[in-house]
Amino acid sequence: MRTSRRTFISCASLAAAGNLLGLRPFGALNALAAPSNDYKALVCVFLFGGNDANNTLIPFDTTGYGQYSSLRGDLALAQNTLLPLTPAPNFALHPGLPDIQTLFNSSNAAFVANVGTLVQPLTRAQYQAGQTAPTNLFSHPDQQLEWQNAAQSAATPTGWAGRMADVLGASYNSGASIPMITSVAGDTLFCNGISTSPVSVSPGNLGEPSCSEGSECSARQLTAQALLTLDTGISLVQADDSITSNAYAYAKTLSDAVQSITPLQTVFPANNGLAAQLKQIAQIIQVRSALNVQRQIFFAGIGNFDTHAGQLALQSSLLAQISPALAAFYNATVELNVATEVTTFTMSDFSRTFQPNSNNGSDHAWGSHHIVIGGAVKGGKIYGAYPTLALGGPDDSGSNGRWVPSTASSQYAATLAQWFGVSVGDLPAVLPSIGNFSTSNLGFV
Amino acid sequence: MNVRLRGLVLAPALVLGVTVFINGCGSSTGGNSTQQQPSVTVSGASQVRLGSTATFSATVTNLTNTAVTWQVNGVAGGNSTVGKITAAGVYTPPSTIPTNNTVNVTAVSVASPSVSGTAPVSILNPIPSITGAEASPVSGTSYTLEVDGSSFVNGAQIQAGGANVATTFVSATELEATVTIPSGTNTLSVSVSNPNPGAMASNATNASVYVTTVPTAARLLDQATFGPSLVTIRQVQSAGVDAWITQQFNTPDTPLANIPTPLPAVCLSANTPTNCEESEWWQTVLTGPDQLRQRVAFALSEIFVISSDSDNATTITYYHNTLAQDAFTNFSTIMHDVTVSPGMGAYLNMLDSAKAPAGQIANENYARELMQLFTIGLNLLNDDGTLQLDTHGNPIPAYTQDQVQAFAKAYTGWTYATSTGGVPTKFPNTTANYLAPMVAVESAHDMTSKTLLNGTVLASGQTAEQDLQGALTNIFNHPNVGPFVCKQLIQHLVTSTPSPAYVARISAVFANNGSGVRGDMQAVIRAILEDQEARAGDTDPTYEGGHLREPMLWMTNFLRAVGFTNTDANSSYFSLSNYSNNLSQRPYRSGSVFNFFPPSYVIPGTKLNAPEFDLENTASAILRLSLADSQVNNKITSFNIDLTATGPLGQLAAAGPGQMVDMLGTIFMHGQMPTDMRTEILSAINGLGTAQQVRVATFLVITSSQYKVMH
Repeated sequence: MRTSRRTFISCASLAAAGNLLGLRPFGALNALAAPSNDYKALVCVFLFGGNDANNTLIPFDTTGYGQYSSLRGDLALAQNTLLPLTPAPNFALHPGLPDIQTLFNSSNAAFVANVGTLVQPLTRAQYQAGQTAPTNLFSHPDQQLEWQNAAQSAATPTGWAGRMADVLGASYNSGASIPMITSVAGDTLFCNGISTSPVSVSPGNLGEPSCSEGSECSARQLTAQALLTLDTGISLVQADDSITSNAYAYAKTLSDAVQSITPLQTVFPANNGLAAQLKQIAQIIQVRSALNVQRQIFFAGIGNFDTHAGQLALQSSLLAQISPALAAFYNATVELNVATEVTTFTMSDFSRTFQPNSNNGSDHAWGSHHIVIGGAVKGGKIYGAYPTLALGGPDDSGSNGRWVPSTASSQYAATLAQWFGVSVGDLPAVLPSIGNFSTSNLGFV
Repeated sequence: MNVRLRGLVLAPALVLGVTVFINGCGSSTGGNSTQQQPSVTVSGASQVRLGSTATFSATVTNLTNTAVTWQVNGVAGGNSTVGKITAAGVYTPPSTIPTNNTVNVTAVSVASPSVSGTAPVSILNPIPSITGAEASPVSGTSYTLEVDGSSFVNGAQIQAGGANVATTFVSATELEATVTIPSGTNTLSVSVSNPNPGAMASNATNASVYVTTVPTAARLLDQATFGPSLVTIRQVQSAGVDAWITQQFNTPDTPLANIPTPLPAVCLSANTPTNCEESEWWQTVLTGPDQLRQRVAFALSEIFVISSDSDNATTITYYHNTLAQDAFTNFSTIMHDVTVSPGMGAYLNMLDSAKAPAGQIANENYARELMQLFTIGLNLLNDDGTLQLDTHGNPIPAYTQDQVQAFAKAYTGWTYATSTGGVPTKFPNTTANYLAPMVAVESAHDMTSKTLLNGTVLASGQTAEQDLQGALTNIFNHPNVGPFVCKQLIQHLVTSTPSPAYVARISAVFANNGSGVRGDMQAVIRAILEDQEARAGDTDPTYEGGHLREPMLWMTNFLRAVGFTNTDANSSYFSLSNYSNNLSQRPYRSGSVFNFFPPSYVIPGTKLNAPEFDLENTASAILRLSLADSQVNNKITSFNIDLTATGPLGQLAAAGPGQMVDMLGTIFMHGQMPTDMRTEILSAINGLGTAQQVRVATFLVITSSQYKVMH
């Protein structure tokens, strides 16, 4: 009796607390059910700090490499260390990315060149003349958030993944027991919708909270949950009540779902934080049926790309973590027979100045080159336009090689969104500025 | 009436020998031709006080067998209503005075049950005893007087300052009264009398007259220290808010010990000396007397962020000690000392940043982040911390990319000092000195002119030190610094959501401490803590505001509240980092210069700017629950936390679960635990063993959102 009473109170008040604050339940909406074998997942890997794309995807032909090496100075990678791309012979990869080379050469990976935050198409001249551009360029937090919210300023409080969940939840996840979006890298704007919110998962730690009180454990938990339903009138207390109540519920759902799981055979690299996150994502994809989800978006991340000094060694060590982690994840999707249903892509604050600084590093810039991986990717190609490597040249926003993007991050997002199931009609709700650009589909997936 | 009543009362008090004549029966003892009558006479005290005992004896005459059995008011052995008596005649009164406070104690001959003797005894209230008394202010000269002691009974009367005051009976060990105490009075003479029958005064004692209430003291300690404890709550109550802050300003810093060279094995963790550095931090913040200084230094460390992620931990102790020493100086001093510290130098690359040769630019990292994160922010601010807007309603950038590059040039030329703190002969100095300010090598300094904020020009030909001073002064005097920094200090110490008016009041103090000084940290800190908005929750527990206890503060708050003993063989506190790390926090180990959580964070679905909530999500909430279980079950490696039945909370629980829960309310929740929460917890622990009551109740308190959000 006591149990059922408290459970009821807990659930009822959770909804009430959410309403008071405008906090969103993840929302199980009645709608058309899609075919049950229809599954797709998008996996975002965020490279926090601003990956130097100039040393990720490098011109390999004689002229292009010559321009590159003459300006990059101490940061230039030796041509004979670069990893050639067979289907795109004029370009090569950083030596730390052999797995990406393999995926690209087997047409399971593509690059999108010089993509970045934009509100509308912009040339160097237009930028310098003060036409509308994203706010607070070159600022880490602002550019991270603008990549995630696809808006002109960081102030927009929802991300384009969250807005996709808003739009698609009813059609695909009407009976889901967890939200459409799962973050394995903590709270992030990308995942927040207008009417939906994500679940956060600690990699390798899906379980319920531990308890040492033996037979008293369930009663203790019931009381702890009941305390979350007492109305205090303090907004922040209510916010935490809501988060903690959801935490209890999701932990139970997820730990039940993975209880009798068959371990993945794919070996993920050890001592690799990104690999641990991606392994956790693969495990959740594995139990998609138990969770009753047909669309999932995942957010993973890895930091320390802010290479203002000592860049060569630092970026090498980071790319050497990314490469095997992404490859293992792709292999896990093959093992789970969902390689063509899962598309993985990178985002980052910005790229870095093409001109090096005096500390063997580079500084904050703008347009970048990004990686898209998956069986559905039309791989082996470089999409978009690679910038002209000239300081003060046609693609430089100033004089230090901060490239004005030739492709908008919104176009990059729109291409992924349409593959994922967002209709052309719903696209503006997900990506409000998409109408400012000539195409909403770059065709890479 | 009086006479008769008096007679009725007094008569039974006479000890009577009752002789019973037995007719028609032969003597059971026989053989004695004199046939003297057997009798039983009872003697003993005529009065007994509750809580004590009285021993009665029976004199049996003319019987060989002198054994007797005992009755109270005719009940063999007595009962809980009239009191009980043992076979040996030891009488224990009932727990409360019976309706008729005189009972008859009767001894009955075993050999001849018809022969008995009786003595009346009056039951009186006990004599109360006082162990301590405290008067806490309510408002004006009105105080709540709490008297602790023993043997208080319902109806007990407190005499305060020689006069009877209306008294509330709380328990046998606690009485309360509302009293009026003239201002300036430090002590108040207190005694207690129990009511009749047997009224008698206790010992007299002097009550401590506190300057502040428990809620004020405990909330201040939550805002200004690493967590309240009963002892520190009493200290603040005695001193008052303003005087306590002054005491803390005058308390010297507890320095983190520098990591020894060569490195002892105990300091190594994954090949870096973070083990000892983090142990030092935990020990200092948990045990140092300079709590306000350390708490402000902690807040500063979350604004001027460095991290052993990329810094050598050896330099972190130096950096932390710099912040602690500077915490109560001037903000410009903090800016300067941080800028030249080797820790910040290495973290944001001002260290070894040389004048750029052709084809390169000066490293912009420190130049950008000093403005964006530490002092000014991205956009022009009003004095109340809100954004200034242009005619189109857009924010106005506070600086340009060209200015970033100009500052970058101004900061060139700095490298590690030599081992003796001097200027090295070459640039860069590749031999690190982690424990001394960086020094400038002029040959590596860009001496061209630089145009800074507001068009201020650093003339060409200046030295590195001149350019640095010029650049820092230029930034320090920017009007954004007050609102930008003060809002963050408020958020770290008091509330995530200060009103613009609160920010404006503190910004004004930053701009001018009243004596024309800009950036006076003592004035700013005092103003933040004494502001009406910081103190409103003292009297209104539902006042909006507060902030989530970030994981490391949540842990120190727990340890300081319940007390702990370090049991590590090397006295290391490092194990705590392993637990906090699960919750994405470790001392000086932020993942980036944007701190563990960014100041701009808004809780999704709300408009609440609540930075610490960036660490609170459905994954971390579960991890915190698991850690709480370890904490209350004494499973924290290297520490002993006594929540047993014999510990301080266990003893309270044994006396009454309500007293234990009230103590949790005092040490964790400023004495403001909501009634419904208290009821739920008492219901949950009802019937459990004492130790489990303590563990479960403590768990329920520290995992409640009501507690996790300090408000």
